[in-house]
Amino acid sequence: MKTYTYPQSQELFKRAGKVIPSGIYGHLGPSQGCYIPTQAFPFFLERAQGAYMWDVDGNRFIDYMCAYGPNVLGYNDPDVDQAVREQMQIGNCTTLPTAKMIELAELLVDTVDSADWAFFAKNGGDVTSFALMIARAATDRPKAILFKGGYHGVAPWAQKLGYPGITEADTENNIYVRWNHFEDLEQAVQQYPGQIACVMATPYHHPIFEDNQLPEYGFWQKVRKLCTDHGIVLAIDDVRCGFRLDTRGSDHYYGFKADLICFCKAIANGWNVSALCGIDGLKEVASSVMYTGSYWLSAVPFAAAIATITKLKQIDGPQTMLEKGKKLTDGLREVGSKYGFDLKISGESSLWFMRITNDDNLVLHQEWVAECVRRGVFFTNHHNQFINCAMTDADISFTLEVAEEAFKVVKERHPEIGG
Amino acid sequence: MVDENVKACINLHAVLRNMEDLCELDKEAHDIIQGKNVAIRFSVKNIPAAIMTFNSGKCIMEKTESRNCHMNLLFKSPEHFNLMIEGKRNPIPTKGFRRIGFLKRDFARLADRLSYYLKPTHELLRNKDSARINTILTAYTAFFAIPEIANNDPLGKLNASRIADGTINIEIDQGPAIHITARSGRLEAAKGKASNARAFMVFDSIDTASGILNGTLDSYSCIGTGQLAIRGLVPMIDNLNKILAQVAGYLR
Repeated sequence: MKTYTYPQSQELFKRAGKVIPSGIYGHLGPSQGCYIPTQAFPFFLERAQGAYMWDVDGNRFIDYMCAYGPNVLGYNDPDVDQAVREQMQIGNCTTLPTAKMIELAELLVDTVDSADWAFFAKNGGDVTSFALMIARAATDRPKAILFKGGYHGVAPWAQKLGYPGITEADTENNIYVRWNHFEDLEQAVQQYPGQIACVMATPYHHPIFEDNQLPEYGFWQKVRKLCTDHGIVLAIDDVRCGFRLDTRGSDHYYGFKADLICFCKAIANGWNVSALCGIDGLKEVASSVMYTGSYWLSAVPFAAAIATITKLKQIDGPQTMLEKGKKLTDGLREVGSKYGFDLKISGESSLWFMRITNDDNLVLHQEWVAECVRRGVFFTNHHNQFINCAMTDADISFTLEVAEEAFKVVKERHPEIGG
Repeated sequence: MVDENVKACINLHAVLRNMEDLCELDKEAHDIIQGKNVAIRFSVKNIPAAIMTFNSGKCIMEKTESRNCHMNLLFKSPEHFNLMIEGKRNPIPTKGFRRIGFLKRDFARLADRLSYYLKPTHELLRNKDSARINTILTAYTAFFAIPEIANNDPLGKLNASRIADGTINIEIDQGPAIHITARSGRLEAAKGKASNARAFMVFDSIDTASGILNGTLDSYSCIGTGQLAIRGLVPMIDNLNKILAQVAGYLR
C-alpha cells in the first residue's frame, strides 16, 4: 500500500506558527491531538465529503475522528446542507431571534426523554458551565461532584489546579470521585452536607488515555436516588455521546433520568450550536441566570440541528452507528490478534476507545495508529474514535485491510511480539 | 510564588550541580581543578545537603547527608544560600580552614565560569562551542530543577502526583540525555537514558533544546514541526512540562 507524505501540511504549519499560538491550538493540533510521530499525520484539510476527508497534499482519509464528534451523518449531508441554504436566504445572526429557535426547542423536548425545555449556546463547555450555574442557583450550594478523569470543557472550573491560568479559587468547589464507586459519592455527600449543588458526569466514563468504563449495573439508578434524596441536581454531560447512543438522550439509554443534560457535537452535523435541556422544575432558575452570547440565537445552526435530529430519528442513526462500530471493532480486534497484538476495545461501539496492551507505555499503539494514518485511515491515539452514518460496509472492509497491513508493519519492527 | 526553600534546593541541586559538567566541558574549568583534592559540603538549613568533590581532575556532586568532607560551608537559611548564589553573601566555613585558599581562589573562578555560561552574553551565544556548553548546562539546570520543584513546591507536588510511576527519558539527539523517574508522586533525576522508560522526549538538536529552554521557541509548535518528538505515556510528559514551566520563575 502507498504511504502518505505531507509537505504542504508542514509548510502551512510553519506559516501558521508565525501568527497563531502553537500553529494549531487545542485538540485539533498535533500536540494536544497526540499526533505521534507528527510526520505521520496531516495537519490541514482541503475538503471533506461523507465519511472522508482530503488533506492539502491530496491524500484521502476515512475519518474516524469525525471532527471529534460533530460529523454524525457524513460531511456535507445533503438534507442538512439544504436546510442551511434555505435558512441562509432568510437570516442568521439577527437582532431578533427567528421561530427556528422555538422549532428546535420543541423538537428537543419531543425527542429527549428528560427534556421539558431547551436553551442554546455554541460549545459543549458553554452548556456544562451553564448547568453548573443553574444547579448552584437552584440549590444555593457551591460544590460539584465530578468524576476523576472526566472532561467537561475548558472553563477554569473544569480544568485542574496546577495547569497554566488556573487558580485555587477556580477549582476549590470541585469534589473528585472514582467512576463506578458509588461509595465515593455517598461519602462525599456525607462529608459536605448541604453543600453539594450538583453531580456532573458523562453517561459513561470516557477519559483520554484510559480504557473507557460503562456504568456498572444499577450505578446510575443509585446515583439518581442519592441526588433526589439530597436535593442535588444530576447534570449529564452528553456532549460526546449525545445522539450516538440514543436520540432520546444517553440517560434514557442507561435507564435513568437526568435533571439537566448537555448536548453539542452531533446535534447539528458540524454546525455550531449546543443545547442544555432540563426538567420543568429548573426552568425558572434557568431563566434567572444571566447567560448569553453574541451568536447563540443564530438561526442557521438551528436549521441544521433540526435537519440533523430529524434525519437521525428517521434512519435510527444511533442504532446504525452502534452496529457499524461493533462490526468494525470486532474486525480490528481480530486482525490484531492474527499478528499477536491485543487490541483492547472499550466504551460504546459508536464512539469506541482502543489501546494495544502488549506494552506498558503505549508505544506499540502509537506506532500502529501512525501506520494506519499513513495509509489513509485517520485514527488518533488516545481519544475516542467516532462512527458516522455515512460509513459503509466497503469503508469498514477498507479500514480492516489498512489496519492489517499496519499491524504487519509494526510486527516486523517488533519481532518480539508473539503470535 | 517563589518559595525560598525550593529556590535553595534548585540553586544547590540543579544550578551548582552543573559544576560537574562545567569541569568536563570547559577547558578553563578543567584546568583549574587539575591536581586538586577537596570535598566541600554545602550545609543549608532545611534543605538536603550536598558534597562537591574535586579529585583526579573531575568534579562530582552528590546529594547526601554524609559529613565526610574536607570543608563544610554553613548557610544559616535558604535565603542565605540564595544570596550567596547571587554573589551578595558569603558562606560560613565551619571546617577545613586550611583549604580556604581553594574556596577563595579556585572555587571563585569556577563559579565565575559557571555564571559566564548560565548568564550568557550575545557574544558567547554567537560562538558555537560556547553556545553548546550554555545549552547543555541550561538543560541540566532545568531538568535537575524539576524534581526539586516536584518534591517541594505545592503546585509542583500536585502536578507530580499526576505523573504515573515510571521513567521519562529526555534527550538531545546526538547530545546529552537525562531521565526522570516518578515513584508515588516523587521525582528523581539522573544523567543518561533509562532502558525501561515509559515516556520519551527528544529534541532534534542542541539549537532546538536551547530555543525551547531559553523561551525563544514555542515547544507546542516544535512538536508540530518534529523538532521536539514525544511518545509513550504522554500524560507523564504533559505533567512534567507543567513543572518545567515553573523553573523559570525560580531562576529569574
